[in-house]
Amino acid sequence: MHRARQARGADVPAREPTHLIHETLHGILSSVAWPAAIATAWVVGELAYRLLSLPRISSYGIAGFAMAASQGGFLDNPSGTPVALLAHFAFGLILFELGYRINLRWLRVNPWLAITGVAEAGGSFAAVFILAQAFALPMVPSLLLAALAMATSPAAVLRVANELQSSGQVTERLFHLTACNCVLSLFVFKAVVGYWVLASAGSAFEAVWNSLVVIGVSVAIGAAFGVAVPALLRQLGRIDRNATVAFAAAALLLTAVTHAFKFSPLLAALAFGLVARHRRAILSQAQRNFGTLGDLLTVLLFVFIAASLDWQQVRNGLTLALAVIALRLAVKMAATTLFARPSGITWRKGALTGLAMTPMSGLVIVLLEQTRHLKLYALDQVAGLAAIVLLLEVIGPILTRQALVWAGETHPREGR
Amino acid sequence: MALNAFKASEPLSMGIELELQLVNWTDFDLSGSASDLLHLLGHRTFPGDVKPEITESMIEISTAVHHSHAELLAQLRSIRDALVRSGDRLNVAVCGGGTHPFQRWSERRIFPNPRFNQLSTLYGYLAKQFTVFGQHIHIGCASANEALYLLHALNRYVPHFIALSASSPFFQGVDTQFDSARLNSVFAFPLSGRAPLIFDWREFAEHYFAKMEKTGVVKSMKDFYWDIRPKPEYGTIELRVCDTPLTVDRAAALAAYLQALCRMLLQRDEAPPVEDDYLVYNYNRFQACRFGLDGVLVHPKSNASQLLRDDILATLVRLEPHAAALDSVAALDQLRHEVIGEGNHASLLRQHFANAGSVQGVVDAAVTLFRRGRSR
Repeated sequence: MHRARQARGADVPAREPTHLIHETLHGILSSVAWPAAIATAWVVGELAYRLLSLPRISSYGIAGFAMAASQGGFLDNPSGTPVALLAHFAFGLILFELGYRINLRWLRVNPWLAITGVAEAGGSFAAVFILAQAFALPMVPSLLLAALAMATSPAAVLRVANELQSSGQVTERLFHLTACNCVLSLFVFKAVVGYWVLASAGSAFEAVWNSLVVIGVSVAIGAAFGVAVPALLRQLGRIDRNATVAFAAAALLLTAVTHAFKFSPLLAALAFGLVARHRRAILSQAQRNFGTLGDLLTVLLFVFIAASLDWQQVRNGLTLALAVIALRLAVKMAATTLFARPSGITWRKGALTGLAMTPMSGLVIVLLEQTRHLKLYALDQVAGLAAIVLLLEVIGPILTRQALVWAGETHPREGR
Repeated sequence: MALNAFKASEPLSMGIELELQLVNWTDFDLSGSASDLLHLLGHRTFPGDVKPEITESMIEISTAVHHSHAELLAQLRSIRDALVRSGDRLNVAVCGGGTHPFQRWSERRIFPNPRFNQLSTLYGYLAKQFTVFGQHIHIGCASANEALYLLHALNRYVPHFIALSASSPFFQGVDTQFDSARLNSVFAFPLSGRAPLIFDWREFAEHYFAKMEKTGVVKSMKDFYWDIRPKPEYGTIELRVCDTPLTVDRAAALAAYLQALCRMLLQRDEAPPVEDDYLVYNYNRFQACRFGLDGVLVHPKSNASQLLRDDILATLVRLEPHAAALDSVAALDQLRHEVIGEGNHASLLRQHFANAGSVQGVVDAAVTLFRRGRSR
């Protein structure tokens, strides 16, 4: 070996080849890390689904958290990497689908449903804010926590409902209320960020920009896509089969554009789906979940969410986290139960709708990731948030599934 | 358990049962919403009767007993309006049509009640594949023997009802080229088809039914999926070959047509039905399912071939005095218009498919048509 090195040239420093090998190996390992993590999470998901009948997305989260570098695993924190952009795209597809399933006319015909939405989201905000203040959290973190607690994560809700092929009132209301509380949560979140920018930087312009303008422009871009894509499809004639590809490509473009210009890809994707639905001339055959593409991206998304968490952050404020989870669930269930009868369903189905709305992790992580440029390190600064995200990433889908099963809205032989 | 005694009823009174589809507003696939809708309907006075059907995506409505077409139509319209209103509160669309154009039977959920669960266990996929939607028309009969006579005297007219009501060209996502694909699902059941040619109720009950019961194959009349069957509890015969039309107006018109036909047949001017009439029965029925109004009928007595369309028009002429007596001229005019001009609902659905370019568009059109109530 020594002779071989000498043969290549004496001027090469002795330790360079090992260094090179180390570099290359590191490069290879890090480029393999994410694909390997996705494959691993998928296997874990399938095994846990078969053996413990755990919702797949719960297992993806557990696997992702375990594989994260902060827990001694091999996945570096994905924040700010291309993986994050892929996760945003995955989330964009889900929000598009959620928007596509929302029937605005229903909220008009049955105003009690809209009232339920405002009550449960507003109630969650108020209750969590008071709780955070009681735990002596500062003002801005309290407000941020309360704003985030309003929302239900569309990713978990849609995936679980689709996995169980559920249909019925709990399922329908779950989608509509989730869309409502996501929009309300995003509005309040942006307002809080605006307030925070105003408070810290003192720039009124920046404050307004980060709230009103971002909301308005994001919705406008999404709505423009919602008008343009169906119009384009109409121009191209009958292309039922390709509608899924067209909408996925458009969602990818929309996510990239809004992300690049620091608008809200979440609001844009939701608006895109909503407008596309209400303006369609071609009735899209867009498959639920965007088929195999959606399935694959979901694994990535849920691994990404959990890999963004650090055990140190999770330990910080565990008690507060448990209190927030319990209170939020109680408020949501109380609101959906209270308005169940006036809105035309049983108390029981009302309560189950509230229970199904437990998940919130996906939205929180993706939203925070998309506001990284504001240097708002909420996972570090808002005590309890990381713990809430981790706990609900696992528990949320389980509760949603249980609620749908108890409501009798699932297909008896579940899964695909 | 022996067959119930035949309870005589007012002759030529009529009632309708309609199996309706519950679909979602997003992609117009069937929606498992029967329990939710029934719960909501249970809270208010419903202008008729509403029941669950075998899967969670269907409901069955039925009218009271009526004597005139106008009353029947009025009740059907108020039932429809009540259903549409309640459906809107739950984001569920209601529509007619004999099949859902693209639902996948494997995704259907059996409505949770003991009889349906038992049927599902016995028939397996047939039960879910039976997510098809029919119209049943009851005609009151003064006596059991009159009911059996009518049941068989109608044999040559059964294809008329198939062709006039046909509204199920699409099944499992494709155009089957049948006007009524629904009936193919019904024929799959072992006890479907025609009733045995027996004219005496005692013989029917004590020999045929009792023997069938002893074999263990049937427990009640409900286990027979015949095209026409007697319903002793109501004192009626029940015609079961019709697809649920897209509008309640068409449903009421079909009932009026049957009522007028029965009035004519009860005059016993035609040669009485014999076993040999049934030689052409399945062939004629197939023609009506496959080609609708363009099918070719073989007359069971003369063996002459004739277009179904022409046979219906000729029958409508013969029914004129009866329609006048029963106050149903408007209903028969509507059917004449269907035969001469606009065609049946199967051809209407095909037009919508051609326009919209997708099976979702077909359901969208069916939903609108059901709410609006007119076929044009």
